[in-house]
Amino acid sequence: MLQEFNYLAPKSKNELYTLLKKHAGKSRILAGGTDILVELHNHWIAPANLIDIKKIKELQGITFNDSEGLSIGATTVCIDLINDKNVKQYYPLLADAAGRIGSPQLRNRATIAGNLCTASPCADMGCSLLALGASVELGSADGVRVIPLKDFFTGPKKTQIKPHEVLQRIIVPAEMAGAKYGMRKLKRIKGHDIALVSVAIARTSKVMRAGIGSCAPTPVVTADLSPDAKVARVISAVEQVVSPIDDVRASRDYRLFMTRDFVEKIYPELF
Amino acid sequence: MKIKLTVNGKKYERNASETKNLLHFLREDIGLTGTKEGCGAGECGACTVVMNGKTVNSCLILAVETDGCEIQTIEGEAKDGKLSKLQQAFHKNHAVQCGFCTPGMIMSARALLQANAKPSVEQIKEAIEGNFCRCTGYQQIIEAVQDASGQLKKKEGLTRA
Repeated sequence: MLQEFNYLAPKSKNELYTLLKKHAGKSRILAGGTDILVELHNHWIAPANLIDIKKIKELQGITFNDSEGLSIGATTVCIDLINDKNVKQYYPLLADAAGRIGSPQLRNRATIAGNLCTASPCADMGCSLLALGASVELGSADGVRVIPLKDFFTGPKKTQIKPHEVLQRIIVPAEMAGAKYGMRKLKRIKGHDIALVSVAIARTSKVMRAGIGSCAPTPVVTADLSPDAKVARVISAVEQVVSPIDDVRASRDYRLFMTRDFVEKIYPELF
Repeated sequence: MKIKLTVNGKKYERNASETKNLLHFLREDIGLTGTKEGCGAGECGACTVVMNGKTVNSCLILAVETDGCEIQTIEGEAKDGKLSKLQQAFHKNHAVQCGFCTPGMIMSARALLQANAKPSVEQIKEAIEGNFCRCTGYQQIIEAVQDASGQLKKKEGLTRA
């Protein structure tokens, strides 16, 4: 049995906003639950209210159009992203990244938005969405604000999201549709494991960007590079944004070495 | 909170505690203790059940979230006292040693076979990557799933009893 909390399951966005405002600071949002139930199980958190957002239709689904790009609703789980035809056609990097998360059991349940809100430095969706220049839409009773994902993460497990806000969708710009891409994730074992280093690079005719995970307090992204940038330029741009540490899983030097190695391996795949 | 769900084809209506996960709900409220708790944190897969056709860690889902859902557990495998083909294949291929991971392992294999009647070895490995087994070394489990899908070639050399 977990510690006591009230389970609330609003059916609309407005109902959710009201609950979040009323219980600000005393509630946590429940979507896939693959992180939050672990936190509850281990008594790391003790929210008075757990607000399940899966019944809210407005937060469901993946849509694509030529002007805005891809919209990923807050309750979209990894397997939905992997199987979505627009994602497969226009943003295959996202399907690739989502397929590298956890295990099948977790991919069937874990949400993309939740992966961002947990804000682990090794978030698998972080580096791919950063490379694609994604933004997140935060909603609350006070209104809606859209912020670039690169500004969303503020530290390990920390984001810009306020206690009364919800990450309601992720937006991937239309100009990144059809981007060439490559991704690598270094793990200790072949199966279910978190990244020691992950690198995703996306390239269109106008821009090239690399997102890196597990090499800084948050997932990070390079500045916008020219699509013709040489591999040495990409490596130096990556080195400007990473600051890996020694920890139980890997050393700083090994992480830096593998980051460079991954950029070199991905680079030929971008042309 | 009152919830209605279907477990192994049978409908249940129960008053579920909001703070109880599906795993404990199945074991304590429904009385189906085949599903095991390993880590309780979504790492080991011992608690795997199939929910609406997809494998999930039942330790990471609240019982109240499963209102209206269809759940399959290990107890749904055997019919009239006869093991399912998949269970028989696990038995025959020595894919069970201590047995603790087996209910979850079989549910992952079950969901795979429901979606793909003839999975490749790579697909089998991917399907069970969220299920830890500390005894078998996995090879026998992979062979059992191949056998259950009619794909296991007779082995030369060492024969198994």
